[in-house]
Amino acid sequence: MADIEVKSDIAGAVWKILVEPGTKVEEDDTLMILESMKMEIPISAPEDGTVKSIALAEGDAVVEGQLVLVLSV
Amino acid sequence: MAFKDLLDDYGRRKQSALAMGGEEKLAKRKEQGNLNARERLDALLDAESFCESGLFAKSIRPEIRHKTPADGKIAGYGRIDGREVAVVSNDFTVVGASSSAINGKKIRHMREVASRRGLPLIFLGESAGARMPDRMGAAGRAMLGQDPAEYLRDRRTPWVSALLGDCYGSSTWYSCMSDFVVMRKGATMAVASSRVTSVAINQAVEAEDLGGWRLHTGETGLVDMAVDSDEEALEAVRTFLSYLPSHSAEAPPRLESPGSSEDAAERILDILPEVRNAVYDVRDIARCIVDKDSLFELKSRFGKSVMTGLARIDGRSVGILANNPKFKGGAIDVNAMRKAVSFLVMCDSYNLPIVFLVDQPGFLIGIDGEKRWAPGRIMNWMNAISLVTTPKISVILRKSYGQAYLNMGGGRNSDEVLAWPTADLGFVDPVLGVNMLHNLKREDDPERFDKLVEELKQDSTAYSLAELYETHAVIDPRETRQALMRLLEVHANKGGVGEHKLASWPTSY
Repeated sequence: MADIEVKSDIAGAVWKILVEPGTKVEEDDTLMILESMKMEIPISAPEDGTVKSIALAEGDAVVEGQLVLVLSV
Repeated sequence: MAFKDLLDDYGRRKQSALAMGGEEKLAKRKEQGNLNARERLDALLDAESFCESGLFAKSIRPEIRHKTPADGKIAGYGRIDGREVAVVSNDFTVVGASSSAINGKKIRHMREVASRRGLPLIFLGESAGARMPDRMGAAGRAMLGQDPAEYLRDRRTPWVSALLGDCYGSSTWYSCMSDFVVMRKGATMAVASSRVTSVAINQAVEAEDLGGWRLHTGETGLVDMAVDSDEEALEAVRTFLSYLPSHSAEAPPRLESPGSSEDAAERILDILPEVRNAVYDVRDIARCIVDKDSLFELKSRFGKSVMTGLARIDGRSVGILANNPKFKGGAIDVNAMRKAVSFLVMCDSYNLPIVFLVDQPGFLIGIDGEKRWAPGRIMNWMNAISLVTTPKISVILRKSYGQAYLNMGGGRNSDEVLAWPTADLGFVDPVLGVNMLHNLKREDDPERFDKLVEELKQDSTAYSLAELYETHAVIDPRETRQALMRLLEVHANKGGVGEHKLASWPTSY
């Protein structure tokens, strides 16, 4: 098991978080949805794994490259 | 029996060459769950089709001849789905499959025959790098570089690499010149090994950080696909080649069409959101358009706001170059630009018609992109698309803004431009457009703002484009597959072989 840091590849605000610590996800599953560039843009799982911790809450502002979640793979 | 001694000797020699690096090393590999170099050939090629070249080759150095069967690189010809290929399988159990005087001759011969006779060339990579004694001193120098075409990549036939272990030196170089690279997770690819690198920079380096699958599929883009086992990697090689012609002078093979997936046409309307600001995964749309189960995605973890993949439509191979709104809203960043250009080069070289699926808000602008040559890369892309001679068909699904409209095949940059009624072709997003054109923000005068936005929208619909004959047809999204089938047929009339003006372009972007 290794921990992978999932970072936002875009700036925006957290609109909805769809997972919680312990949620099992597959590659490309949506973890949370940001509001950015007037669109709802998902952050997806980079690979299969289990959500270990979430670094943000709904409504938080996010900058590009910011840690949003840690995934155990 | 006549010639008994001679035949016994022949048998012994053959057995010893086929024994590779010896039982102990082979057993260790097996324990780790990895195939050896000959098992890989069995898994890759049609049964009984391997015709070896150089079984009795050995090191040029007498003192290690006894431990260098096939000189560490097994070469020959075989068939994949009945089609001839040339292949080099690195045998790591023989002095790390290091590159030597003799096995270099074997690679050269495979390369030359592949190009001259029109065979795809496959490298099964796992090699330690240069064989030091062979390459040391002036004598070593005098042996290197004697073949001026050693690293010439003219794309006369497809090259494919599988990275199946530690890959340094030759395995790395040939991967970087290949049209498709698949890596087994756990393998590494780098200029030099982590041991050599650690010594050189006086800092501990982990092999996985230096050249693991995450790095190469996600950050460098040098690897197209990562898989879990040797078997899956070899299957991916076979699948990739099934879309391509054996050489650039022939059209890709046409298969019998299995038809589209069930209810695919209707499903398109469920996948495409009605709300402008919602996103979707363009791969779901592509799967509704192409032949059932035929989408073979390349570089899925790299530059994700552009999706590239091989597929078939009515049995014909095509390259799909699509914007993917699911990632970065479809905004095209630098890695997506690099991915798009390398894909155009491949499609042009092997006569693959290109289908653009367009839904993009423009290039992702910002300081990071400028630092990484975004303007140069955008023009590199335009230069490439201008040189492509295979059929290009562009389908505008939703928005297509800015300069990227041309990069995605808009204007005269495609042979055919189709638009869905949902298309929106302004130069910028209408909201941003009103901000800039009228220096007006919504909060200043909501009523006037909304009116101006509406006006701009009306000006940029699929129909306004069609009236000016800037799109050749406005189609019901459900008819996309049928329209593409028909147009691909029209544009294949000359036989489907292009001029390959991009064939001598660089191999990494």
